[in-house]
Amino acid sequence: MTPEDLAFQRAPAPSARSLGVNRTLRHGQNFRPAGLALLGCALLTGCSTHSLSLFHPKGPIAATELHLMIIDVAIMLGIIIPTTLLVTWFLWRYRASTGRGPYDPNWSHSTAIEVVVWSVPLMVVAVLGYYSYKGVYEVNPYHPTVIAHRADGAPIEVDVIATDWQWLFIYPKQHIATIDELVIPAHTRVQFHLTSAAVTNSFFIPELVGQIYVMPGMPTEQAMLVSDPGTYRGFSAALSGPGFSWMQFQTRAVTERKFARWVAHLQGLPRHLTFSAFDQLARPTINVHQTPQYYSHVQSGLFDHVIEEVRMGKVFTTPMAMTAHM
Amino acid sequence: MLVHLQGPWTPLIGRLALNQIPYDNPVIVGAFIFSVAAAAVFAGGVTYTGRWEYLWRNWLTTVDHKKIGIMYILVGMVMLFRGFIDAAMIRTQQVMAVGPESAGHLGALHGYMPPYHFDQVYSAHGAIMLLFAVTPILVGLMNIIVPLQIGARDMAYPYLNAIGLWLTTVGAALVMLSLFLGDFSHAGWVGLTPLTELPYSPGVGVDYWIWAIQISSVGTTLGAINLIATIVKMRAPGMIWSRLPVFTWTAMATNIIGLTAFPVLAATLFLLTLDRYLGTHFFTAGMGGNIMLYTDLFWVWGHPEVYFLVLPAFGILSEIIPTFSEKPLFGYTAMVFASLIIAGASWMVWLHHFFTMGAGPLVNAYFSIATMLVGIPTGVKVFNWAFTMYRARMRFDTPMLWAVGALFLLLIGGLTGMMLAVPAIDFQVHNSVFVIAHFHSMVLLIAFAIMGAISYWFPKVFGFKLDERLGKRVFWYWVAGSIMVFVPMYTLGFMGMTRRLDYISHPSWLPLIALEEIGIGLYWVALYYQVKQIYVSVRDRRKYRAGPDAWWTTRSLEWMTHSPVPFYNFAVTPVVHARDEWAWRKEQGLTSLRPDRYQDIHMPKNTPVPLILGALSFALGFGLVWRIWWLSALSITAIVIALILRSFDSDTDYVIPAAEVERMERQGSGVSGTTDTGHFPAGHAAGKRRFRAARPQDQ
Amino acid sequence: MGLPKIKIADLDTGAPWNNGHRTIDVAASGTTVLWDSSHHEHDAISTRTFGFWLYMLSDAMILAALFTAYAVLRHNYAGAPTAAQIVHPGYAFRETLLVFSSVFAFGLTMSALKQGSRAGVINGIVVSFLIGAAFLGMEFHEFSGLISQGITPERSGFLSAYYAMVLVHGLHMVFGLLWMAVMVVQIMRQGFTDNVVYRLLNLKIFWQFQAVIWVCVFTVVYL
Repeated sequence: MTPEDLAFQRAPAPSARSLGVNRTLRHGQNFRPAGLALLGCALLTGCSTHSLSLFHPKGPIAATELHLMIIDVAIMLGIIIPTTLLVTWFLWRYRASTGRGPYDPNWSHSTAIEVVVWSVPLMVVAVLGYYSYKGVYEVNPYHPTVIAHRADGAPIEVDVIATDWQWLFIYPKQHIATIDELVIPAHTRVQFHLTSAAVTNSFFIPELVGQIYVMPGMPTEQAMLVSDPGTYRGFSAALSGPGFSWMQFQTRAVTERKFARWVAHLQGLPRHLTFSAFDQLARPTINVHQTPQYYSHVQSGLFDHVIEEVRMGKVFTTPMAMTAHM
Repeated sequence: MLVHLQGPWTPLIGRLALNQIPYDNPVIVGAFIFSVAAAAVFAGGVTYTGRWEYLWRNWLTTVDHKKIGIMYILVGMVMLFRGFIDAAMIRTQQVMAVGPESAGHLGALHGYMPPYHFDQVYSAHGAIMLLFAVTPILVGLMNIIVPLQIGARDMAYPYLNAIGLWLTTVGAALVMLSLFLGDFSHAGWVGLTPLTELPYSPGVGVDYWIWAIQISSVGTTLGAINLIATIVKMRAPGMIWSRLPVFTWTAMATNIIGLTAFPVLAATLFLLTLDRYLGTHFFTAGMGGNIMLYTDLFWVWGHPEVYFLVLPAFGILSEIIPTFSEKPLFGYTAMVFASLIIAGASWMVWLHHFFTMGAGPLVNAYFSIATMLVGIPTGVKVFNWAFTMYRARMRFDTPMLWAVGALFLLLIGGLTGMMLAVPAIDFQVHNSVFVIAHFHSMVLLIAFAIMGAISYWFPKVFGFKLDERLGKRVFWYWVAGSIMVFVPMYTLGFMGMTRRLDYISHPSWLPLIALEEIGIGLYWVALYYQVKQIYVSVRDRRKYRAGPDAWWTTRSLEWMTHSPVPFYNFAVTPVVHARDEWAWRKEQGLTSLRPDRYQDIHMPKNTPVPLILGALSFALGFGLVWRIWWLSALSITAIVIALILRSFDSDTDYVIPAAEVERMERQGSGVSGTTDTGHFPAGHAAGKRRFRAARPQDQ
Repeated sequence: MGLPKIKIADLDTGAPWNNGHRTIDVAASGTTVLWDSSHHEHDAISTRTFGFWLYMLSDAMILAALFTAYAVLRHNYAGAPTAAQIVHPGYAFRETLLVFSSVFAFGLTMSALKQGSRAGVINGIVVSFLIGAAFLGMEFHEFSGLISQGITPERSGFLSAYYAMVLVHGLHMVFGLLWMAVMVVQIMRQGFTDNVVYRLLNLKIFWQFQAVIWVCVFTVVYL
């Protein structure tokens, strides 16, 4: 028995796809460095910002979020660094052993200093508050102003349904759906509607767009625009149970033309996604390798149907065997 | 049964079954053997030295606030160790489970823990560290120090105090039991809904989590009532509000939070309990439930809880820094107001824990700015500590090192906290290890303050100091460990690493995760030196003996009685004349601890009732977790009967005659060197300096 | 020799927020009084009543959380019977009258306590108890009726909140009745000791608090 079998044997129908051989996720197979090389690696990682995905936004929303982060840190450092220096200087100058500072055993009040120490943080908060307020509208998931004016043409609509523990992406206009793979055209506004069939997850593609909760029984929205074609990692950022660590998906941003070809290809596939087929795929499944699945002829209204079912009390129960003594 | 349960249930033993004992897991079996061995060594030691009666009489049935405080801290320390082991296990799993090629052991696909087991470990780590380690330790410290600082004989309600202790202990015991019988919650320490609902958490884990927290939070609420009443009603003559030591002020602020916030948690968990036990629909996704209602209510408690923990830590820093700076705290009034403002503001910021919920921009903006406003009084505190050091004579004894370390941690935590307060930034780092690193900066601040407080007040409680050389070594290894763990963690947050991952698909993250593992190794070294420090200090306690004024430059009332403090605290209640009364008395040369006249002292009698109530609560918790209804009903009936019977007992106090007090004082003074109070031992450097400082030309 | 008794009020004079160092209290003999040799006891009844007020505050927070939950869930019927279908304000108004009468009877008990009348206090408590029990009887009747019609708390979010809100108040009433029963026995056995008196005072606070909560329940849930 392989370890995989051991871990997931009690999962209902660990279908071939979830235990398949698709191991495409990795970049850099030589990840088993011997003892000493480790530290060197760490230093290298520290030196290059290549893997700091938050610093390499590929869309206006992620870029705005990074921009705000830089402003915030810069302002805060403006107060933190002087304070650190001040404290360090006091520690040095007024140390009892050999410090050279004068000793004033009863000095404990100065109105001038009090005024400064209350007003400086107040001013910082005022400035940061302004940027925070501005940022809230710029990247508002329901109506991000940073991409509102860039929307030329109709947006691509994607309905996202989180199950235990996979991502289902439905393209309602195109009547196609995918599992654990999101394909979108670059330079086009993408409009997401999100909900969950089981528990709460958080939808996140660090390089493209910040998080939004994906909650059962209610819809949320998110919008984004990809500026560079490429492949980006998306995943759930909120704990959703035993399969959470594997709840990832590839986001492929392609050209308009490629996207159209891809859609046409999927529309020709024989596998349909009806309401009852959804009930099959939504049962607890850990898709270890995020092997994508594709569906054509998605029964229309599936997204609303899932919300309605959950509201009526439908649950995809986690079997005891997947929890106890795993 | 009222709800559909997966797995067997019988009326006699509820959900209990042999296969609930994880005897096939070597990690748990190892932990079990260790626990049994530790318990056996303890029990054997007590039996060998014939101290069962001493243990019963002096500790288990005590109502003395200092002994209760010590036991609170001991419970907290045991749980801190458990929480640390959990942390080490988390780090080890993550370093082993990187990349699809990583090996799996013990039934796991990657690493050595399958997801469900790993989820329990970090859920336990969070719940334990916040609720069963740091909370009891801080409550214990307040228990010991607050009555001394205000010149009281004891807490306002000593009996209630003991009940609080035993309820907290029961909560901790239930968490420990979950390790060996059944499982613990896998849904994070916050218990995310609907993940904690029965369909998604079919086992007993969430029930353990609910009842452990529920029972101990009753204890915490009772403790809060007690401390507030003590501060309001039990102050010595002259201890007006404007002279209250800052630690006592923060204890006041923190317990106002505790008193008002913990009931919200109790109500929230109660509703979740109804969902899981009766099938109601409060926090379900369907049938008219509302999952975000839970999240809101939880954080309405959860955020004040954070300040419940941090305010006493601020108070500790405000005691240690002036003592080792040899001057009064800068800006006392501002410090007091800042504490109260923080306590008040803690109620207005809870939504910042889930900006990503998809609330409207105005809601997010409000909570963002409210959160930032908390930064103002906190910033003021930092500056005030800094200006306390201005024109000081700073000595860097161990407590001061911890305090300074905490100060720098607050700067880092403040910087990252201000980042997280901006929703647009939070969208990127919410639930990432960046958040983990941020709040660990803050809880490490609390931990540093606790470590400082323990070394600072240890001589007051036990009459001898802890070894300084080893104490400093512990400090530096903590610092090194913290840097090694949390600097990489901040970095990983920027790489998009989510919290709570039992498997990490990015091989390129391995080096940083490995650095964190090295940091854990440094914490182990710190732990070794910590144990050694306690061992050496206890062994050589004569060498480390301290007088009433253990640090020679202390300022508040608790240093104005013997070390260790006699069970009646002060032979005669002191009259307070100044804000830093002891410093004032030393300045006036009024350092004698001998009053002109002794008087009778009223003291509460020991009682086993709190311990019995604790035992019954444990049975109640156990019965409810395993759904053994007869046991639950029996225990709750017994609890009510015990409470009623106790209320008929009017013989709860006794009087120590004045002559007896005088005899004990004279005897005690021979042991703890009462008469030399306030004077530096001949030749002590600090003493020489102080007298030199008193010369006019130095001022 | 004993020093003259020092008055706490004397120490409290002076600017409250000065740094305190200048306040020196000098007793009649001319020396500073360092230790309070006067034999002062803390007022046990006032200390305990203060603590009970704090407890009431924490209980109020529990109920506040429940009211919040009720307010959020009150329209979540999920196909089950609605509030209008199961709530009878007239019935609840009669319950309200019972709560008020019980509190009134307990008020009379307190005036009997002031006169030190043991029989008056016991009679008063018994009357409050009986009226309180009648209230619980009405509540029991209401909920057993609902359950017999199959309108149970697990049918919808609203019903869950409705049951929880009303029955948590009912649980407080049960606790109050138990407390009254214990007090009757204690008064008969011990008379009006400090312990008995402060417990009666706290029971009064508790019982009036239940009435206040009931008014909130009546307003929010039944109207």
